[in-house]
Amino acid sequence: MGLEQVPHNFLTGRLEDLVRWARRNSVWPATFGLACCAIEMMATGAAHYDQARFGMEVFRASPRQADLMIVAGRVSQKMAPVLRQVYDQMVEPKWVISMGVCASSGGMFNNYALVQGVDQIVPVDVYVPGCPPGPETLLHGILTLHEEIRTGAIMKRRGPGKGAGIQIDNIDGVTGSVRPVTITSS
Amino acid sequence: MGKFSGFRITIAQVFKPKVTGDYPNSKRPKPERFHGRHVLNRYEDGMEKCIGCELCAGVCPANCIYVRGADNPPDSPVSPGERYGFVYEINYLRCIHCDLCVEACPTEAITETKLFEFSFTNRQDAIYTKSELVVDDQGRAQRQPWELWLGDEDDQTSGWMRATASAGQAEFEGKVGWSGELGVGVRAAEPSQDKTRTAIAPTSEPEEVALG
Amino acid sequence: MSSVPISQWPSEYKYSAPVAGDTEMVNVTIDGVEVQAPRGELLIKVAQDYGTYIPRFCYHERMKPVGMCRMCLVEVEGMRGLQISCATPVVEGMVVTTQSPDVKEAQDGVLEFLLINHPLDCPVCDRGGECPLQDQTLAFGPGESRFVEEKRHFEKPIPISDLVLLDRERCIQCGRCTRFAAEVAGDPLIDFGGRGSSTEVITYPGAPFSSYFSGNVVQICPVGALTARSYRFKARPWDLSAVETSCQSCSVGCRGVLDSASNRLVRFLGVDSEPVNHGWLCDKGRYGYEWVHAKDRLNIPLVARGGGLVPESWPQALELATSVIRDVFDKHGAKAIGVLGGAQGTNEDAYAWARLAKGVIGTDNVDAQLGDGLPAEVVIGMERATIADLDSARAIVLLGPDLKEELPVLYLRVRRAAVDLGVPLVDIGASNTGLTPYAQAVLRHLPGDPEAVTEKLAAALAGQPTRPDELRPLLEAIDKRALIQKEGPVVVVLGRSSVAEAADATVRAAAILAQAGISAKFLSALPTANVHGALDLGLAPGFLPGRVTLAAGRDELAKTWARVPEEQGLGAAKILANAAGGEIKLLVLLNCDPIADFPDGQLAKDALKNVEHVISLNSFTNESMRHADVVFPITVWGEQRGSISNIEGRVARLGRKITPDGSTMEPWRIATELAARLGHEMDLESFTEVQDEIAQVAPAFVGVDSKLISWARDGAVLPVADHAAEITLALSSLDQNKRSAGVSWEPIPTSGEDTPGNGAVPPAVISPPRPAQALYSWAKQAPERTAALADSYSLRLVASRTLYGNDLITTQSPSLARLATVTAQLRVNERERDRLGVADGEVVRVISSRSSIELPLVVDPSVPERVALVAINRDAPGASDLVDINESVTDLRIETLSKPVIKES
Repeated sequence: MGLEQVPHNFLTGRLEDLVRWARRNSVWPATFGLACCAIEMMATGAAHYDQARFGMEVFRASPRQADLMIVAGRVSQKMAPVLRQVYDQMVEPKWVISMGVCASSGGMFNNYALVQGVDQIVPVDVYVPGCPPGPETLLHGILTLHEEIRTGAIMKRRGPGKGAGIQIDNIDGVTGSVRPVTITSS
Repeated sequence: MGKFSGFRITIAQVFKPKVTGDYPNSKRPKPERFHGRHVLNRYEDGMEKCIGCELCAGVCPANCIYVRGADNPPDSPVSPGERYGFVYEINYLRCIHCDLCVEACPTEAITETKLFEFSFTNRQDAIYTKSELVVDDQGRAQRQPWELWLGDEDDQTSGWMRATASAGQAEFEGKVGWSGELGVGVRAAEPSQDKTRTAIAPTSEPEEVALG
Repeated sequence: MSSVPISQWPSEYKYSAPVAGDTEMVNVTIDGVEVQAPRGELLIKVAQDYGTYIPRFCYHERMKPVGMCRMCLVEVEGMRGLQISCATPVVEGMVVTTQSPDVKEAQDGVLEFLLINHPLDCPVCDRGGECPLQDQTLAFGPGESRFVEEKRHFEKPIPISDLVLLDRERCIQCGRCTRFAAEVAGDPLIDFGGRGSSTEVITYPGAPFSSYFSGNVVQICPVGALTARSYRFKARPWDLSAVETSCQSCSVGCRGVLDSASNRLVRFLGVDSEPVNHGWLCDKGRYGYEWVHAKDRLNIPLVARGGGLVPESWPQALELATSVIRDVFDKHGAKAIGVLGGAQGTNEDAYAWARLAKGVIGTDNVDAQLGDGLPAEVVIGMERATIADLDSARAIVLLGPDLKEELPVLYLRVRRAAVDLGVPLVDIGASNTGLTPYAQAVLRHLPGDPEAVTEKLAAALAGQPTRPDELRPLLEAIDKRALIQKEGPVVVVLGRSSVAEAADATVRAAAILAQAGISAKFLSALPTANVHGALDLGLAPGFLPGRVTLAAGRDELAKTWARVPEEQGLGAAKILANAAGGEIKLLVLLNCDPIADFPDGQLAKDALKNVEHVISLNSFTNESMRHADVVFPITVWGEQRGSISNIEGRVARLGRKITPDGSTMEPWRIATELAARLGHEMDLESFTEVQDEIAQVAPAFVGVDSKLISWARDGAVLPVADHAAEITLALSSLDQNKRSAGVSWEPIPTSGEDTPGNGAVPPAVISPPRPAQALYSWAKQAPERTAALADSYSLRLVASRTLYGNDLITTQSPSLARLATVTAQLRVNERERDRLGVADGEVVRVISSRSSIELPLVVDPSVPERVALVAINRDAPGASDLVDINESVTDLRIETLSKPVIKES
């Protein structure tokens, strides 16, 4: 989008605030319920909790229209590539909430069939504990994410030590459409 | 008429009270025996109740508890008896709040609170260590910066207890089946089940409780 | 298996009706099922063999019954009241009920009574979760107690030794520990004191329970009264995961279970292996697992650079080692390369290194024994006895080291044979050993000169009509024994009693016994962990894997190996001498430290100083490593799967329990990596492939492939064709369900459901042995008498080992390090001390032909006159400074340092 070229200085400071404010108040989640946590996620969208209050009006059915993926439930090994594809189809800037213990660590399903933590596949911004987390806990996670968006840098989203400690860096000096990405563990 | 009959419900709703809560400024009341995050309790004399027996870790279906016992230092014992919980960690990205640890605990050291609103931006933060779990000198759960507490929500912290508490049996009705706790003293006997039921059975939609 | 029924043990504890040698079967009905059992066998054992478990606390299969706990009550038709099944022998037509209402009531009562004094502190008890009292209370107990009074209280826990803690509140007075100490270990240092409810296990005042076998009482205690200091609060049973393995602290190869929690070894328990250890372990084996986690473990390769050893990556280190080997090979030929050690690793390590050294490089200068053993041809070729042969022997002759110090569990087996089974015991040696009190004949000789007494013994055993006085009790005992055991070999336990003297004299003495016509069989007593496996697999000059000589095995092995050395190479002493002399340019040290291990320390130091290149494989840094070009860190016991051979030649598997820290590698894999870099692909990818190749190319290992090793529960004795009948096959010798019953406090049942079923096919066990077996012939050697002492001031040195010395296992395990003695002492008896006129503990100058050192003098009444004893496994200055490997014996002169006090007359 060309935002990479915008210099980061006091002139752009207000503009960055504006961008962050806008992003924070229009995080649209993708419709991506995987298991029981999705029931709680639906409840979060319903009248009693009403996440529309935070600008999250709609769960978008197309990942290309979503900013946020709430991984709601256990991720089976079979689902993992699908999940990654959905994530890849989402446009930047994008965020991931790992909802519930199964998504975060495999939870009590410590077995071969499930991905032991969705952060092995996608970078996770916020982990929400619980089995399942209640709507209030999910809202807490969403508010934590909002805070991250509000205070974070607009270009370099992932600071070191976040998520599972996986950091995705672009390699300098490589031009062209294909840019190799290295994943380093920090 | 047919065209507008669909609006009837919508219009009727407009005049009813709003059901949407004002989270995070207020919370809906949680049920009795709600399973939130754990605390490690202490006796009234300040000693820790945990003896490091690892029964909680053994019973945990999610393997989220890690305990190591050690010899109590003879001059300044941490808990009564010869052994104390030297390391106590709970990984909240594994815990499913099933409360089996509370059931298994022989000394009522570990109980669950109603605190349930917390999330992490980092895996390491999700592991609560003993210094975070143990109750403070007032007998209250220690507030962690990432947890959303409203007002005196922590009043009910080390509360309920085990589902199979002796009050569950008719013959133990009105008898105290637990030891004193720091900051709380000896809790009153659990009300019998029929009383409990009438006390919390929602007759109507629960009132929004504004805390803080 | 052929265990002797307890009722047949000739002993003063004849609780049950004993019938000597009776194998008549009788019919017994247990709970309505008719079964057959040997007459006189104990009812509780018969019931267990046929699948009826009778609860018990005091009864232990390996000890005599006492009937103390009263838990095993059963109803026997025709007998008044209830009977304790642990002390009731079966007779023809017996009808037994184990589950009647009366029995149930009695069990309820016994348990309620036991629990009156037993505290309910299970959550903090190390036994909690695998406690027989817990289990049996749940299974047979009353459910609720009526006891509401205060229980008794004691100070808890109190140490009864450096390793064992006693919690008197929890004791239920079953007497297992006291019986073990007195009956099995022969160290009756604990007993009951007090009466009634204040009965407690006590040690003698001021004398701790300092037995070498103290850890066993922790294992057999049916409650948490005796706990191990090293395991205290380390883990709970549900944290543990277990694997069955063999102990590698000495060469007996006791079977045990290694437990780990969170990738840390936390304890080692004995498994009841009928042919080997009967469930017992020595403390060194039991608590010696701690060294695996020692802080100083090497975990990254080191290379010499800039005057020191610096960390390096594996590929670089391997390349460097390869270039060193290639360099020496190209310039000086294969003979300039010597390989020492390999007796500490697995069979796979030994084979891969034998193949690398002999088959790839082509040197025969390979020796696993560092001058502390017997000639390889003797060990490999002598007619081998098994440990079980001790029980059925006509007599046992000890011609070797103090078994209690070097092979403690073999000591237990010999002691059991001598004391419980009445096998006559002969002790030949220069000084007293742990078994001397049980010997019918004690034949003392000057160190290095056992031949004269051995000749006398051989003649007497062979039936010489005149009976020398000192042998009369022995011959009477043999006559008495002949009533039960007419046939049977004379088992000679053969080893090196002292490294200060050459092995030749011991070999000559053994030859006398072998040729005496008394059907002597030999049980090797070389102590190093896997020395027998290393020798069997070719880590000895002149031998190839599978107990064959170079000449005999050359053609066969050349099919697999790139080459086979042309002529016999050198032994360890010559290798070191040549290294010191400059003919050998490269020394490869396989997990050994010649400076510490070789008896002649000066020679080892010279060798390592003068040799151009050293490649060392080890798990710790040591003195020899200072001269190394490359140091490879290796995985050790508990981190590596494989197999080992014990003193009988029994191949048993080793289990892997933990993932090692850092980047270590199995020694056999290092050998294959080096071979590949030297241009020879061994094509060995896993330890099972190595085992299969051994079974293919090594004649003595025919049939012992990876499948058999993983199936044979107690391992397989070589050659397997001769011992096939003794092999017990099991799918897995240990599973989680059997854990609590199996390893923690009772022996694993040796028969029955363990055999593979469900259509599983056992591997083919029996294959015809291949020829080309080079057996040692005991050539009658010219009697070469060792010189007598030069003058009346000289003392002759005996340099033997003690259990806790300066070895790695002892010093790197915190529990054992407390017990270790690492400084050398000169031990003489009182008369020698008086002759010198020094005080006990005073430092004296000890002079040998090699050097002179200063040592404290200690009086030891068990040392005979004219003999001085210095333990070899001590830090310098010590025995290794005094020994000259070229001398047949080491004579000492002692000088006092203080000015002699001249008494005025």
